[in-house]
Formats: sequence, structure tokens, C-alpha cells
Amino acid sequence: MVALGLTLIYGVLNQINFAHADFVTVGAFTAFFTATRFATKVLGLPDTGAYLLSMFAALGAGALLGLAVNAAVFAPLRDRGDELRPLIATIGVSVLLENAQLALFGPIPYQFDSPFARETLRIGRIFFSAQSVLVVAVSAAAIAALYGFMRFTFLGKALRAVAQDRETAGLMGINPNLLIALTIVIASALAGMAGALLGPVLVLSPFAGASVIVKAFAIVIIGGFGNMQGTILAGILVGVIEAFTVQYLGSGLIDLVVFAMLLLMLVLRPTGLIAERKEENV
Amino acid sequence: MSARRIYFVVSILVLAALPWLIATPYWRGILVLCAMNVLLALSLNLVIGYTGQLNLGQSAFFGIGAYVSTILVKSYGWNFWLAAVAAVGAAGLLGLALAAFAVRLRGHYLAIASLGFAVITYQVLVNWENVTQGVRGIYGIMPPFSHPAALFYLVAGIAVLVYVLIDNLVRSPVGDSLRAIREDEVSAASLGINRALWKAFAFCVGAAIAGLAGCFYPGFVGTLVPDAFNIVESFTMMAMVIVGGMGTMIGPVLGAIVLTFLPELLRGFGELRLMIYGIALTLVVLFMPGGMVQAWMALRARLR
Amino acid sequence: MILRAKEISKSFGGVRAVHNVSIAVPENSIFALIGPNGAGKSTLLNLLSGIYQPDAGSLHLEETNLIGLPAHRRVRLGMARTFQKIRLFRQLTLLENVLAGFHIHQDAPFWEYLVYGDTGRFREEARSLLAFVGLEARSGERAGALPYGQQRMLEIARALATRPRLFMLDEPAAGLNAAEVDFLLKRLEQIGRQGVTVLVVEHNMDLVMNVAHRVFVMDHGEPLFEGTPREVQHDPAVIAAYLGGEFAS
Repeated sequence: MVALGLTLIYGVLNQINFAHADFVTVGAFTAFFTATRFATKVLGLPDTGAYLLSMFAALGAGALLGLAVNAAVFAPLRDRGDELRPLIATIGVSVLLENAQLALFGPIPYQFDSPFARETLRIGRIFFSAQSVLVVAVSAAAIAALYGFMRFTFLGKALRAVAQDRETAGLMGINPNLLIALTIVIASALAGMAGALLGPVLVLSPFAGASVIVKAFAIVIIGGFGNMQGTILAGILVGVIEAFTVQYLGSGLIDLVVFAMLLLMLVLRPTGLIAERKEENV
Repeated sequence: MSARRIYFVVSILVLAALPWLIATPYWRGILVLCAMNVLLALSLNLVIGYTGQLNLGQSAFFGIGAYVSTILVKSYGWNFWLAAVAAVGAAGLLGLALAAFAVRLRGHYLAIASLGFAVITYQVLVNWENVTQGVRGIYGIMPPFSHPAALFYLVAGIAVLVYVLIDNLVRSPVGDSLRAIREDEVSAASLGINRALWKAFAFCVGAAIAGLAGCFYPGFVGTLVPDAFNIVESFTMMAMVIVGGMGTMIGPVLGAIVLTFLPELLRGFGELRLMIYGIALTLVVLFMPGGMVQAWMALRARLR
Repeated sequence: MILRAKEISKSFGGVRAVHNVSIAVPENSIFALIGPNGAGKSTLLNLLSGIYQPDAGSLHLEETNLIGLPAHRRVRLGMARTFQKIRLFRQLTLLENVLAGFHIHQDAPFWEYLVYGDTGRFREEARSLLAFVGLEARSGERAGALPYGQQRMLEIARALATRPRLFMLDEPAAGLNAAEVDFLLKRLEQIGRQGVTVLVVEHNMDLVMNVAHRVFVMDHGEPLFEGTPREVQHDPAVIAAYLGGEFAS
């Protein structure tokens, strides 16, 4: 889901948001504090209700951050037609967000208890935590919703039109800036929600994002920049390969294997799994 | 004497006097660190600033230089200087290997590929415990000179030498070709410039210089852990280049100096150190894309 | 014949951009390549200059086989080009743009660059090239700051710095005003008189009819006609293609 947000932004804007993963941690922290401090203490909601509420809070936090980054970074830099500048600026935002969180929350990881993490489900002889089932289910739903949105609604079509050719789309009465802002907000909201979902699974610390982002990049590249089907496929593929790596090589080597795969992919098929060939435009 | 020469001589004199003006051991250490950062910023600037290749893996070459030199000295009993030559060679060769296919990539792809390379290098340093000691780290590393002023003279001297050589190179026809590639690869090729060759050249030289800087790091700190070469290090190097002014010679030097000393002066604020990097990076890109050099030029133009 | 292409073809994703085109450019001539929009002229030029490699066919510069040779190697054989969509080094000065064009003639040993830096070689020649295209006075300005017409002329000066024997221009008159076209025309003739073969892709018929010795007409990726400018003007197939093309687009 994080990778999907990245690829969405890339597909429409041709820009990479390095701070994207930090939206995930911000989302996770928002969810954490909403669930543990606000919902249960102030509103007196039961655990499950608090967690669900926290997910929406995280969604909102992600959307707000996306809005802010778009207004502060992407929008002013968009017209200069430079690929490096926005990328570097988002690295700056990323470093800023990480360390701001560090200053606020400290380096000690938080234990984010979700009511679902405590329960386990059994299918045959295999046990799952309810949380991981929830992660998969919500991700699948979000992916399906996003896919449907891009494919079938007017806005989705307009977005893809902007991705294809910004100027022409502008001439057709589509406001590209508004749509780009919308894309970033959607992608960032997804990231925030991903944070709420992953918070209880990962260790919640300000730097959790960094470990997520590099993997998300790997998935995006393996799937092909801006290509949604490819990204989903690559996400599944990387998940499977990670599982096998843990099984046979040990968990320390996960990043190594994923990135070796990434480099291999860049050598063999730089356009991704589902290739869209683009000739050098002269 | 030309103005250039005068600047040069004055800078050398200031450098020579610095360790005696700033005499506390702590600040002398910061001076060495600063000279090392200058070296790193120069190396990255050659790749990003002059050739336009967004390399986010420079921390890996820095780390390779540090680990190769240290391991050769500590485990195999090599002489430091010999080990340094080997370390620079190793960093350069790995840079060349990465460049061999990175030259076909552009912009974002190169950024991510080099980032991936940095992550892999970091993971190797963590996991190859037989050789690198993993996260436990290597301890008790001695610098080539024990006197802090001597170490400063050495690293600063190398930084000056590297500065002069790169400065000559970028003013030479080679520099014209590199900048041409940065501006437009297709038309560079239409002038007979072998873009793959020259991009790989810049990448390889940049990696070797970062490896050279890496040789002095462990002796200076005394210990060596993989975390010193995390990808965040690549970002701080980049911040130095950008804040100073990429694609200029003096910019990255100024950037390295400011971003080494500024956080030290604000040390009381703890986590703020990296936040400063983040804020500086974002603000400079947004409002002053040419960095401090551009700001200085604008100021001078206004005062006239 | 300085350049000889035999039955070269190139498709992009099933679309035949250039199909079975044979072309022979005589030495010391000004050779024009014309055709309606989308006729495949630019693609053909990209094939000749090495930006694309053809799917089929043969390509020779005199006796040298060009197939498989990348663009930068062809420059060393004496081929230079300009681009339809101007591609200058926008952040560099005019002088630096032209100096970069001398790349293949820089033959000093590498250590000299490390020790001496700027050798100042070719500087005078670069200035005289800038003077040739009327830009000497602006040599210190950034290329991106030039008005459009002058950018085209700068691109020509930069390509000439490679000292080509075959000079290929992709729509050099596009976007120029009448005075600028006139200036360009004079310069092209002058380049031709200096023993450089000129291959020009062009839309501007006035320019083609005034300057070209031979004209090659393409349509739909295929050759349509070849002859002198006068013959071309009176060929019914060419007229039909142009009228059809003009109304269709």
C-alpha cells in the first residue's frame, strides 16, 4: 500500500516523494495517540472502537501532511521542470519529519497495542494474528477501491489523462494542479492509514519509516514506476521472496535479497515487470 | 599575482594556523571532521553537481574506504598508507562496477539504484560478522598520527590537493564535457561525447575520493560501526553540496564547513542537529537553488 | 556519394515510422529532406545520426559501415547534427556550449588537464564560430536566456565545432522570422561552399527551393520522390501528398 501511494504520485507527477514513508510513521503515531490517549481516556470508547477511530485519524493526518507537502514543495517546484530538485527537497522533508518525531517522541520504541493484535485466528494448523489479517484485508480493500477509482470514475480518468499529458489535459478543461494535489492527498492518506495498520506490527519508532521506504522503492522499481498493476504484483512478489528468505537464509538478509533483486531488475528490465517501452524522445 | 593565487595562499595560511587558534582537543577533532566532510562534499559534487547524476550511495563508498583500510591494518597488519591505497582502489572499483550499469539509468532510477547499493553495503557491513564484526563494531583503531594537529594537516592537505585537482579538471575541456552531459545527454552524444564513459569516470573518481575520506574516519573516531555509513550519511553529504551550491567548486566546501560547525554550536539541542539538515535542505532547494554561492552573488549584485 | 542508406526501416511498437527508405547523399551538395508532418523525416535523421538503430537495412558513410555504431562514434567520422526541438546546454554560456563541441578534437594528455586546467585551446575558433552565426557579442551569456531564433543559430555553431563533413539539420527554420530565415539561408550556403555536405530536414519550402541542390520527398515513412527543387515542385504525387497532408492535419 505504501508502494502504491508512491507509484500513484510518480505516475501522475513524475516525481518521487522521499518523505512518503515518514507519513506512515506520522500516521502510526497519530493512531497510537488517538487510540491510547484520546479515544479511550477522553471519549471512553472500547478498545476496538478506539482503534477503528484511530485509523481514520491517521488517514486524516496523512492527508493533511500530503496537502502541506504539496503546497510547500511540489507546487512551487513543479514548473521548473527539474527532476532532481523536488526529490532533494522531499529528502529534506523526510529528514525533518524523522527528527521532529524523534524530538517529540524520543528514540524509545512504543508498544502499540491494537485489540486485534492480541487475538489469533486459526485456519487449519496455521495461526494468524487478527492484526495481520486486518492489514491484508484493509490493504486489499484500499487497493481495490483505488484501482476502481482510477479505472472507472471521471476523476480517475482525468488523473490518468494528466499523467499522460499534462498540457493537453489542461486544455481539455481539467485543472491539473488541483488533480495533482488530490493525488498527493490520496496517496498520503493511504500512507497514514498504512501507518495505523502497521503500527502494531512493526516497532513504532520515528525511524520505522526509513526501513519501510527503501522497501517501498524497491517494490515500485520492480513493478515499474507509475505502473499500478506492476506495483501490486511486485508487492506480492517481494512479500513472498521475503518469506522464503526468512525461512531459508535468516531474517538478517531480507534487505540484502530484496535489493539484490532490485539491482538485478534495473540491469535486466529497467522499465519494470510489466514494461511500457518508451523510446528516447528527440 | 592573480586574485586566485592570493585567495589560495591566504586559505593555506588560515588552514595552517587553525589548529593553533582552536586548541581544545574537542574543537581540533571537529576541525578534522570538517576537513573530512569537505573531502566528501567535493567527491559528491563531482558526481551530482558537475555530471548531474543523483547519487544517493556515496555513504557506501565512504564506508568501504573506512572498512577496507581498517581491516587491512588491524587483521592483516598492513601499513596504513598501503591499506589506504588499497581502500581507495576498492572504493573506486566498486564505484566503477556500480557505474557500469548505473550509467544507463537516469534521474530517479539512478537515485534509487544508488540508494539500493548503499542499503546493500550497509547490510553487508552488518551481516558479514567474521570480517566486519557486525554491529558490535571494531574498537581501538589508531590514527596514522597521534597528534590531532598532524591529523588535521594531513586530511586538510589532502582536501586542498583534491580541491585543486578537481578545480583544474572542471575548468579543463573534461569539465566542459561533464557539464554538457549534465545539461543534455542526447546533445552531448551528438557532439561526440561518450556519455557512458564520462559518467562512469565521474562516478568512479567520486567513489574513490569518498573512499579516501573513509580511510581517515576510523582512526579519528577510534571505533568503526556500520551505522556511521547509514544512508542518512548520504543525505547529509548531499545537504552540504546543495546548501553550499552544487556545480561550483567553493560551494560544497562552504556547505561542509557550515553544516559541520552549525550543529556543533547548537549541540545542546540534541535531535535538532539532523532537523537543521532537513530544514536547510528543503529551504535551500525551494528558495535558493544555487545555495550559498548564489546567495552571495545576489547580495553582491544588490550592493553594487 | 558521402552517405548511403539502403532499404532502412524502423518501427515503434508496430507503427512503421520509416519503411524501406534508400537514400544517397552526394558529396558537397545541399540535400533537402521534405514531407508532410509525420512522414518520418525526423526518425530518418535520428537513424542516420545514430540516436536510433534501424530494424533493417544498411547504412554507410563513404566506406564505413554505420550500423551498430553509437551516435558519439559517428561524430568522430565527421557527422554532426542539430535537433528539431532545440537542445542546448541551457545553464552554460554560449562560449561553453561551442567549446563542448570541440570535444573530439581535444587530444592533450589527461594529466595536463589535472595540472593546468583550462588550456584555452579552441577558444579563438569558438569565438569565430559564434561570430559566424552572429552571436559573438553575447558569448558570456547563458544559452537558455537567448531568444528562440538565436538558440537555433547557437546550436548550429556548436555542431560546427565538431568540424563535420556531413552536417544534418532538423528543421532549422522552424519558428524563425523572415529575416532570420534569410540569415540562416546565407549561412547554410556558406557552410556548403566550405566543402561540408549539408542534409537539411525542412518544412519551409522557400528555404528548400532556394538552397537545396537535390530534394528527397517522404510520405508515410516511405520515399515518394527525388529530384531537383524544380522537378519536385511540379511532381503531381508530391503536390497531392502535400495538399492531402495539409488538409488532413
